[in-house]
Amino acid sequence: MKSVTALLSGAALVCLVSGAMPLAASAAECSGTIKVLAQPRDGLTLLDKYRDEFAKLSGGANFQIDYLNENDRRAKTKADASTIGRYNVYYIDEANVALFASSGWVAPLLDYYPKDYDYNDFDPGRRAVATYDGKVWFAPLTGGGDLMVYRKDLLEAAGIQPPRTLDDYIAAVKKLNQPDKGIYGTALRGQRGSGANVWRWMPFFKGFGGQWFDGNTPVFDSDAAVKATETYLELFKYSAPGTQTGSWDEAVGAFTSGQVAMLTESTPLVGMALDPKQSQVSDKIGYLPPPSPLTGGGYGHGLAIGTKANKDEVSKQCAGLFIAWATSKENEQRRLEEHQFSELNRSSVFASKKFAELYGPDLGQALADTGKVTAVNFWQSPLWPELGDRWGIILEELVTGTRTDIKGGLDELNDFAKQLVARGQ
Amino acid sequence: MSVRRKGRFVGRFILALAAFSAVFPFLWTALNAFKNRVDIVTPTPLFFFTPTLDNFAYVLGRGSVFQGLTNSLVISGSAVAIGAILGLPAAYALARYPGKWAKDIQFFVLSLRFLPPVAVAIPLMVIWLELGLYDTRLSMIVTYTLLTLATVIWLSVPAFQRVPREVEEAARVDGYGPYAIFFRIALPIASRSLIGAIAFSFVLVWNEFLIALMLTTSDAKTLPIVASELTQLGRDVPWGILNASVVLLSIPPLLLIGILSGMLNSAFRRKN
Amino acid sequence: MKHKSTLPAVFLSPALLILAVLALVPTVFAVFISFQDRELSRPDGRFVGLDNYLALFSDRRFVNAIGVSLTWEVLTVGLTLLVALLIGILMFEYAGPRWRSALSLMFLTPVILPRVSAAFVWKFAFHPLYGIITWPYKAITGQPLDLLSDPATALGTVALVDIWQWGLFFAVIVLKLLETLPPQPFEAARLDHARTWQVYAYVAIPMLKAPLISLAFVKMVESLRAFDLIYVMTRGGPGITTETLDMYAFSQGFIESGRISYASGMAVLMMIATSIVFTVIWKRTRA
Repeated sequence: MKSVTALLSGAALVCLVSGAMPLAASAAECSGTIKVLAQPRDGLTLLDKYRDEFAKLSGGANFQIDYLNENDRRAKTKADASTIGRYNVYYIDEANVALFASSGWVAPLLDYYPKDYDYNDFDPGRRAVATYDGKVWFAPLTGGGDLMVYRKDLLEAAGIQPPRTLDDYIAAVKKLNQPDKGIYGTALRGQRGSGANVWRWMPFFKGFGGQWFDGNTPVFDSDAAVKATETYLELFKYSAPGTQTGSWDEAVGAFTSGQVAMLTESTPLVGMALDPKQSQVSDKIGYLPPPSPLTGGGYGHGLAIGTKANKDEVSKQCAGLFIAWATSKENEQRRLEEHQFSELNRSSVFASKKFAELYGPDLGQALADTGKVTAVNFWQSPLWPELGDRWGIILEELVTGTRTDIKGGLDELNDFAKQLVARGQ
Repeated sequence: MSVRRKGRFVGRFILALAAFSAVFPFLWTALNAFKNRVDIVTPTPLFFFTPTLDNFAYVLGRGSVFQGLTNSLVISGSAVAIGAILGLPAAYALARYPGKWAKDIQFFVLSLRFLPPVAVAIPLMVIWLELGLYDTRLSMIVTYTLLTLATVIWLSVPAFQRVPREVEEAARVDGYGPYAIFFRIALPIASRSLIGAIAFSFVLVWNEFLIALMLTTSDAKTLPIVASELTQLGRDVPWGILNASVVLLSIPPLLLIGILSGMLNSAFRRKN
Repeated sequence: MKHKSTLPAVFLSPALLILAVLALVPTVFAVFISFQDRELSRPDGRFVGLDNYLALFSDRRFVNAIGVSLTWEVLTVGLTLLVALLIGILMFEYAGPRWRSALSLMFLTPVILPRVSAAFVWKFAFHPLYGIITWPYKAITGQPLDLLSDPATALGTVALVDIWQWGLFFAVIVLKLLETLPPQPFEAARLDHARTWQVYAYVAIPMLKAPLISLAFVKMVESLRAFDLIYVMTRGGPGITTETLDMYAFSQGFIESGRISYASGMAVLMMIATSIVFTVIWKRTRA
C-alpha cells in the first residue's frame, strides 16, 4: 500500500495540491512516505490521528513509524544507519547522539527545522542533552532526570520518614520489604544494556565519586565502582521479582501495580504513578529528589534527520518538517490533554494552566529540585554504547548470580575498554 | 493382565498429554488473539470472554505487517519457484543417471545444510552491501534460493527413485525421448511426493529468521521479522496484538500440514 | 546407451552452478574478511592476519558460547530422540489406525509453526505473571515462577520448546518406522514371554538402528539452528547463560558492535567444525 502511494504521488501533482493550501508552510513540497524508526511512545502513536493534518501541512507526505523496544531500537537504528540507511528519521537519545553525529548518520537539526516551531521553547535540560559538539541533533520527545518515588501509606505504617540520604534509603528499603505480604522494598533494573541496568547503576557510581575516563585512559576500575556495585547488588536483594532481567517496564509495572514500596527511577514514573488509569496506587504516592549522594541520570530522547535516506536538501527539509510538527506546541498540548506526562518537553507547556491543574504545583517544584542533582552520568563518547553494553552484560551476570567477583568483572571491562579505545583510533 | 491394562491406561494418558501439549499452546495463543488486553492480563487465565476482532484489524491495518506479508509471499514464492524449476530436473538426473559422481553431488547438496546460517549471513551481508542490493527483495530471493534449491533436490531424489523403472522403460519402447519421459511420465507419477518437497521448502523459507534478520532492515523485511519486532515492543505490551500477529504468521505453514503429512506417509510406505 | 543422453548435463548444470556460486562465494568471502578488521561502519578494513582468531580464544564470551552450544546440542538431540522413541512406541502399542493418523497430524503442528511463533507462544506461556504454565505454580505457592530469567533453568526452558517441536515430529517418524517392521520377530518375542519394554529394547530398536542414527544426525544438524528460539525468548541472557555461538556471532557482527570481521572469524571456525564433524559422522554411518 505504502509503496503504491509513494509511486503514485508524483511531485508535480503534489505541488498543485499544496498550492491550494494557503496555510501550508512555504517549503512544503513533500511527497511519499517519511519512514521513522522509533521506540513506542504514546506521544508518537497519538500522531496517527492527525495524519491528514501533516499531509496538508507538508503538501501530501505521509509517515510510517516502525517501533522497537529500547534496546532493539538502539541496535537497529545503528545497524540501519551504518549500512544502508533506509529511515528518514531516527529516534536517538543522549547516549548515542555522539555516535550518530560524529559518524555523520544524522544531519544538524536546526539547519532544517522551521523557525516558527521555536526550538528554544524546549526545556533547557533537554536541549543540553540534544547538543553535541556545539550543534543540536534532535528534537526531544521525552527526557528528564530521576526522582525517588515512595508509597506514603507504607512508610507511615512503618513509621519511616521519607529518606534524604542513601543510608536511610537502604535502611528503609530493608524495613519495607515484606515479600510474604506481596510488598517488595524496591525495584531496580537488572536487564543488560547501557540504557537499562547500567543506567540505574550509574547514579551510585557517580555519586560515590567514580569517573569513566581520564582523556583516553579508563579510570573507572576504582573503589567507587566496586562500592557502587556492592550497594546495587545489596539493594537488589529487595527488588521485586521479574526485575532481575527486567528494565524500566518491569520496575514501573511492579510499582504501579502496588508491589513496591519505594524506588528511584526516571521522572516519567511520577506521571504514570499519579495517573489512575495506569496506576493502582495513584492516591498513595510521594516523591522527592534522589537520596544524596546519588546523582540523577539526565537523559533525553528525540527525533533526528537521517542523512543516507534523505539524499537531497528537499527531503532533509521534509524530514525536518515532520520532526518539527511531531514535537510542536500543538502536539504537546494534545499529549497533555491525554495525560501523557512523560511526553512533555516544552517550557511553555510546563508553565501552562492546564499542567498545573492536572499535576499540581508540587510536581513542578520536585522537577525543579531534582534538576539540581541531575548530571551526565555516562561517558560522552561515540564509543559509550559499546562500553556500556559490555558492562551491562557483566552487571546482569552479577545480578543473576552467575558471577560473584565484582573486581574481576571491572578488570574485564577495563581490558575491554582499552581494546575499544585502541580500535577506535 | 492388570499390569497390562494399567500399562495401557498410563500409555494412553501420556499420549493424550502429548497431544494436548502439541495443540494447546497454539490454540491458547489463537484464543488470546481474540481477547481484549484486560482479559489477557488477569491473574487467572480466562476461558470465557467477549471476543474482539480489534487485534486482527489492528495487525492487518498496519503498513509494516502488510509490507512484511507481501515481502514474505514474494520472496518465499519466488525462491521456491526457482528452487523447483531448477531443482526437480537436477534431482531427476541424480535419481536416474547415477554416474560415479552422483553420490558426491548428493553429499555436496546435503552438506550445504551443515553450514551454520550465521556463517552464510555475515559474508552475504557484506556482499549485498557492496553490490548495493542489501535490504532488497532480489537479494533475499537469491539468498533463499540456496535453501530451496538444496532442499528440493535432496527431497526429490528419493521421490523420483520410487517411480517404477518399468513404466519409464515402457515409455521408451513407445518412442519417448529422455526429456519426454521426464516431463510426461516421471513428473506426473511422482507429483504427490514432489509437491510435498516443494511445500516443505516453502515452509522452510517462510519460517526462516536469522538470515532475514541480518539481510534486511526495512524495505525487504519478511513477516517473521515484523512479528518478532511486534513481540518485543516491551512498553505497555499489547498482548492481544502480539498473539494476533503470531497467529497470522503461522497460518500459511499450517495450511500445508496435510500435504506434508502425505509426503511423510509416502516416504515410508514402500519400505518393507 | 541411455547414458549418452544430454539430459544429465542439461538438468544438473544450472542447479549445481547456482548452488556452487551461492555456497562458495560467501564461504570464501567469510574467510577473506576474517583476516581483516572490518566493521559495519568502517567498510575499508586492513589485513590483520590471524588477530581475530587469536583474540577469539582469549574471549571469555566465545569460550562460554562454545560450551552453551555443545550443551544445547547434547540436550536437544538426546531428549528429542528420547521423547520421539517414547511417544512413537506408545502410539504403536496403544493407538488404533485412526488415532494414529489423528495423533500424527497433531504432532506435526509444532514443527511446522514458524520458530518465532513457537518461541513467542511458549515465552508467553512461561510469563511469570500471565503465563498459563506458571499459573498453577503461582496459584498454589503465591510466588511468581520466572524460569526464563533464572540462570539455572533458562537454557533448559528454551530447549524444551525445541524438543516440543522436534520430539513430537520424530515420534511420528518412529511410528512410521515401526509400522514398516515385519511382525514375526515381535510375535516370537511375545511367545517367549518377553515384557513389552523388552520387545522394544531388544528387538525393535536394534532393528531400527540405522534409521534412528540418521534421525539423530538430522537433529544434530537442525539443532544448529537454535538462534530463533533464543533470540525471541532470552536474547542470550540472563548474563550469557544462553548465548550460543550463533547468538554471539550475531551480536558481535550486527547488533552490539558491528564487528563483522571478528564475527566472520567465529563463523569460519563454526563452519570448519560442523563440516568436519558432520562429514565424519555421515561417512561413518554410511560406511
